[in-house]
Amino acid sequence: MNDALVIEVVRKSVTVDCAVEEAFRIFTADATSWWPVDGHSLQGSEVREVVFEPKVGGEIYEIAHSGERGHWATVLEWEPPGRLVLAWEVSPGVMGTEVEVRFRPEDDGTRVELEHRGWENAVAGAVDKRDSYDTGWGHVLGRYADRV
Amino acid sequence: MITNRHPLDALGDPTRRQIFELLRSGPRSVGELAAGLPVSRPAVSQHLRVLEEVGLVTHQRSGTRNVYELDSGGVTVLRDWVDGFWSDALARFKATAERKGE
Repeated sequence: MNDALVIEVVRKSVTVDCAVEEAFRIFTADATSWWPVDGHSLQGSEVREVVFEPKVGGEIYEIAHSGERGHWATVLEWEPPGRLVLAWEVSPGVMGTEVEVRFRPEDDGTRVELEHRGWENAVAGAVDKRDSYDTGWGHVLGRYADRV
Repeated sequence: MITNRHPLDALGDPTRRQIFELLRSGPRSVGELAAGLPVSRPAVSQHLRVLEEVGLVTHQRSGTRNVYELDSGGVTVLRDWVDGFWSDALARFKATAERKGE
């Protein structure tokens, strides 16, 4: 491992004005209602649904109006309503990062803390997948190019 | 508009990803890289230039040879993009949760 490739973990938190159980449910089962698919999905505004399969080994994926699915992540740990850990595919072929989300009560609401880690592995994973994903990178870039 | 200056885009080419993979095990000269790849030495140099432009590799002169190694800058750009993405996504989540979760 090249020492130069140790990259800071992404950490975010937000407090929401609802109970922990409800926050967890909306984050996962109701992800379609809030996920910004326009900039942050494989098929952009064509996406009609975002699915969290609620179990270890479950898949997080999008479904387009055409019915086409796009894989985002796999559930590594599933502990409702407090915590979940996902193996996240940043874009097709960029494997190796993990997203952990924790939900805990705070005052009358819920504090949601998110950590996205493992960046040193991300590019290595992309390299391992080189034969399968030759077209994926440019496609995803098209979705977020105007944000970069 | 997509340009060829983004690290992800530069890695969209399979040969460039192979070069990147070879450099993960340590610095190498253009000749050493070309010996392990099914492309010509000038082609390797061209790919290295693209990788260097987006900040994924860097090089040093060693005698008559250019020795290339990985630069963490490119992966950092990817990480920073995701940082902005989660800020955006969690703001949307908060707005929706507070509307629905009452």
